[in-house]
Amino acid sequence: MQISKSATDAFLARLWFWQRRRDRRCAKLLMLSALVALAAGCSLSPRTYHDPNMDFSMIQTVAVLPFANLTNHKNAEDRVRDVFMNMLLSTGGVYVLPAGEVARGISRSQIPAGSAPSIDEIKKLGAVLGTDAVIAGVLKEYGEVRSGTAAANVLSLSLQLIEVETGRIIWVGASTKGGITTTDRLLGGGGQPMNTITEEAVSELIKMLFKG
Amino acid sequence: MAPVVWSVETAGGVEPFSYEFLWADSSGQIMKQQSSSPTWQWWPDRAGTYWLKVIVRDRFGNRAQSHWSSEFEITRPLIAALPLQNLSSTTAPLAMIRTELIALIQDAGFDLVADSDLQQFMASQRMRKVGGINGRRAERLKEATGAEALLITTLELYDEQLPLKIALLCRLVSLGQSPEILWVNSVALGGDDAPGILGLGLIEQPAALRSKALEALVTSLTQSLAGAKRVQPLPGKFQPKMAHATQERGWTGKAKVAVPPFYNVSDRKYGGEIMALHFLEALQQSGRFTVIEPGVVYDELLRFRIIMDDGISIPQAKAIFNTFKADFVLSGKVFDYQDTKGDWGMPVVDFSAEMLDNKNSQLVWTSKSYNGGSDGVFFFDWGRFTTASAMAAHMTRAISGFFAQ
Repeated sequence: MQISKSATDAFLARLWFWQRRRDRRCAKLLMLSALVALAAGCSLSPRTYHDPNMDFSMIQTVAVLPFANLTNHKNAEDRVRDVFMNMLLSTGGVYVLPAGEVARGISRSQIPAGSAPSIDEIKKLGAVLGTDAVIAGVLKEYGEVRSGTAAANVLSLSLQLIEVETGRIIWVGASTKGGITTTDRLLGGGGQPMNTITEEAVSELIKMLFKG
Repeated sequence: MAPVVWSVETAGGVEPFSYEFLWADSSGQIMKQQSSSPTWQWWPDRAGTYWLKVIVRDRFGNRAQSHWSSEFEITRPLIAALPLQNLSSTTAPLAMIRTELIALIQDAGFDLVADSDLQQFMASQRMRKVGGINGRRAERLKEATGAEALLITTLELYDEQLPLKIALLCRLVSLGQSPEILWVNSVALGGDDAPGILGLGLIEQPAALRSKALEALVTSLTQSLAGAKRVQPLPGKFQPKMAHATQERGWTGKAKVAVPPFYNVSDRKYGGEIMALHFLEALQQSGRFTVIEPGVVYDELLRFRIIMDDGISIPQAKAIFNTFKADFVLSGKVFDYQDTKGDWGMPVVDFSAEMLDNKNSQLVWTSKSYNGGSDGVFFFDWGRFTTASAMAAHMTRAISGFFAQ
């Protein structure tokens, strides 16, 4: 079979056109994916969960357990917990047990220090302290972060509210505040003080807690 | 240690009456005080011989006066001055500071128990703790030496490296079965607090700074015992950063407060004890609280084997309430209590406070305070604080102001 030169050229031209079109589609898809990923990363929607079946008005008294500290900063968990307890009590929504009373409860319930308590341990602790719920938390980041010549303070905290009666997690929230901004990169400055960042993060978490 | 109460009885005349209280000393100087009340509390500011007289006027200006009274003697109470408690975590000339303090107190007209008598008493009682006194010991000290009051001085900070720094807390406690705090004050000075033009105001001799600090304390003591009320301005930057108070904390009269040492997570040794002493000062000076002598509180904590892990628990607070019939227990946590060495850096104080109520054993007050020495300073170090002690005194005073409201 003889194929004319013009037909071959026409076929190659069509093939080139489809390839270009496919490349453009791929590029568009890639860009869209990148945008979606970027949007997800920069999402402002809070990272929180509320148990839809829980009546939060039943929670009158709360014990805030010592937070787990995953940072290198000594006593950072104590500082953040103290701010959280103060701010939570200031809302007037719940009564927060004094830290010394919580320590007594932990000691009486024989919960090992620094460990995440099991459901049974939570129930036992609730019975000792006479509380409706306990809050457990993990401090993931605290202190200065560096990137190139820029430096700023950052705090990352996640909390869980656990109902004492059933041992169920009824609320979860996480907040990260501070970090290096574009202004920090361009102009320096070192970001906000640690106390301010702590208050911002804790304030956001408390807003999340009472939103449900 | 108590005021002289004048009480006037009148007969006849038309009310309302006005009263003029006159008193003369041995130098012939006559002083007077007007009052609309027939009773008046007089706090003599120095020992000596006095004569008294009262003039009463009625509504229409009719005047009646008493004769000058027979002479009477005002004597200063005998004071025992304990050796200094050193919470500065450094070596300091404690004996020298005490000697200088005693000299100034004697100059102000007070009588002091002889050192040999005090040392003999301390040895017989095996008394090593000099930061406070319990009721049993206070009574024995009174019996043994005849002293009516005890001066307890705490050295909080001492640094002879330039710029110099010194911080002292001093209190006068009545001796008896239940010791009461009669006066308390703190002073914190830096050699570079007021450098002035070309650094002419810098204090570079430790003796000069010591003397300035001790004079401030003794002046405050004499003025306080003469009935003067000290009102110091409080910069707004020392208000707590967050605070919560319940509605049920109203009380009438003076509330009795126990202030055990704060839970200390700071790097500063004795940070908890120091913060408790600053609260003691602030609460006592507010006039709305009677603070239980820390020596008595420590003794009971020891007796009940109370170890406050992470703060005070409800059963511990109840034990304190029952023992002392206290209305409140104030405790808290110290996160930072940092002084600087040399020219660089700034002092930092960071703590939280909580007050438990006797009525329902619940928190009636919580607050969080933190400040740096250069907070709110924009021009030429104006308003800068050079010691954590000075800041802590202001911060606790701001909180006690809230409590008292």
